[in-house]
Order: sequence, then C-alpha cells, then structure tokens
Amino acid sequence: MAITAAATFSSAADDLTSDALTLSVTASLSKAGLSTALEQTSGLARTNFTVGGTTPFTSKIIYRANDATSNGANKVYLKNMSTIAAQYFTVFIDQEQMGRLYAGDWAFFPWSAVDGTEETFIVTIANTWAAGDTWNFDGITTTAANSTVADIAAQIHAQNYPNWTTSISTAAVTFTARVAGAAGVVTGTTAITGDTVTTADDGTAAITSGAAGTRSESDIIVVPSVATTMDLEHMLFKQ
Amino acid sequence: MATTTAAMTLTSDLVSAPMSISTTTTCMKAGTEADGLDQMDTGYLELASGTQKNLLDATTLGVGKANKVYICNESTDETYFIEIMINAMVVGKLYAGDWMFLPWSAIDTDADIEVTAHTGTNKITYTLFHEGRTLLAVD
Repeated sequence: MAITAAATFSSAADDLTSDALTLSVTASLSKAGLSTALEQTSGLARTNFTVGGTTPFTSKIIYRANDATSNGANKVYLKNMSTIAAQYFTVFIDQEQMGRLYAGDWAFFPWSAVDGTEETFIVTIANTWAAGDTWNFDGITTTAANSTVADIAAQIHAQNYPNWTTSISTAAVTFTARVAGAAGVVTGTTAITGDTVTTADDGTAAITSGAAGTRSESDIIVVPSVATTMDLEHMLFKQ
Repeated sequence: MATTTAAMTLTSDLVSAPMSISTTTTCMKAGTEADGLDQMDTGYLELASGTQKNLLDATTLGVGKANKVYICNESTDETYFIEIMINAMVVGKLYAGDWMFLPWSAIDTDADIEVTAHTGTNKITYTLFHEGRTLLAVD
C-alpha cells in the first residue's frame, strides 16, 4: 500500500519574488518512525454546515482523537468548498485556533490525535435472578431468559449499546465508553448513573469496578463563518 | 496582484479503487478575491534533538488573516521527526520527508508556531505566506 502527497507552490516572476518561484515536494506517508505506509483512511468526505443561531456558529467535530492512533503519523486533509471569498472555516485543535480556511483553500497537516480516556465499569450479575427480570442501561433493556447469572451476563454483553462497548468474563460484563470523555456516567469506583435493576427476588447488578474518563484534547473542530450552507471536504489518513 | 498558487495531489491505493485527489488554490488575503498574499518569509534550519524553537512568531502578523504556513522535514532518517505546536498545543508530528500546509490565524501573541526536534538533528524548511507584518520601532 502507498499514499503519496505532492504539493507545488508557485508564483510568477515579479509577484512574490523577482524571478518565478516554484517549490515542489512529494512525501510517501509512512507510519511513525517506519518506512511502511499508513494503512487506513476515513475515506474522502464532504460535510455540509448549515447552522442556526448567531455567531459564533455551531461547530462540528470533524475528527475525534478516538478516530486515530495517538501520537501516530496521522495526516488530515481539509478543503473549503465555498466559492464566496468572505466565507471561511475556522479550524481548531481542541480549544486552540489553528487558522482560517477561506473559500477554495486547502490544508494538509499532521495530527497527533492525543486521546483522552474512556469511562469504564464492570457490572457483575449476582444473587438470585429469575426469567423475566431486567437490567436497563444506556436505553437498552435486557430481559433475563433464565436464572443463570452467567447467561444473563452473556445476554447483557450481546446487546449493542449506543455509547458503550462490552466484554465479558463469566458473570461480569466490562463496559467501556465508545468515546473518551468525562461523561459523568461513572460516578465512583463502585457507582454509575442510569442503571436500573428489576428483579422478583434478590438479584443484583452490582458495579464492582469503575473509573471516570478524561476528555480528548486534540479533536479537530471546525466552525463556519456564516449560518448559510458551507461545505467542507475532508479526509484522514491514519495508522 | 501577487498570485501564489498552492496545488496538491493525494494518491492512494488504500481502497479498492485507486484514489487521486487534486486541488489548487490561489492564496488570497482574508475575505478577498482580488488581492493575493503578497509577502513571504522562508528559511531553513537544522535543529538538534530535544531542542525547541519558535519557528514563526505570531506577534506582528495581526489577527484573523489568511496566513499560510508550509513546513517540511527534509531529514532522511525515517525515525527522525519534529513536533509541531501552536501555543504549546501539539498539532502533530512531521516525520522525515513529511510536509504540511496549514492556515494560521496567529490569533494572539502566544500563538507562535513551535517545533521540537526528536531522535536526531532534523533539517527543516519553512515558508510563511502572509499579508504583512507590523514592523517594530527601533528602540
């Protein structure tokens, strides 16, 4: 596999310099510290910004640090598709403004994608459960098919949660947030918010371990200069 | 009007059909379509590993302009890299042979573009295309 990024910067004689100026560069995009090529891409995308309200207009996160390997040799391509000279996108990494992409402008830059940490907790199914008992979390309700705690844990693990991934060990299910951040769901090492057990006996879904997350500090955020429609073309190459 | 053209081609065989993206822009002053960026600073330096340098100073450029920055790591050892920062926020790492082209707001006096060299002495070329500086008075 190979990715090549080539650029030419040119200026005619007596524009920037007395003689014509041409600067050409070509890079083969490789993994950090290696000669092997980057292997993954987000694909080319076009994102429309039609936003309401007043300035500053609503931003969009174009790439989350979760999307790429932290401290990898990731590269980001952005282009403002507008043809109206005054329209620009302001590009941020987290809270730091990098620059403005005016109509037709493009950018290509490395991205360290320094990620935060995801919230995580373990729920352990224990005591006496019965078929029909339920555990609800993240908008998903699991209804026990039988009274075996390992089977109920397996049912919980088999669900698809909008904001969490899971893994399982016997009757213990480990939940990990899909996105890094301090979402406030994990409120302590043995407590979370938003879970509900309904049981006919003394079944429990105890939180036996938990850790709060930290937010990412290098998401790429873009803000349009106008509320009317603007389009951004973008692509991420990552390790 | 000064006309500076920035053209780029990205080619890749990562997906099932080979991909090629070409784009060209004429670097204009902020918000105009008749007045191009007409000034530039350019340089080359060799930066020893562990050394940090303010490559470009934001102080005199003015806020909200359409400045563009080109930086290339001309090193050839694949393990060499420079870390690019704006106001101490890490943007990314340019490994040997990598280049970048970035708009730069120079939003305040702290928004310098800083580079730190790693692994060995990195060779760096850079060019700033801009709208002009506020020149400082002689003391």
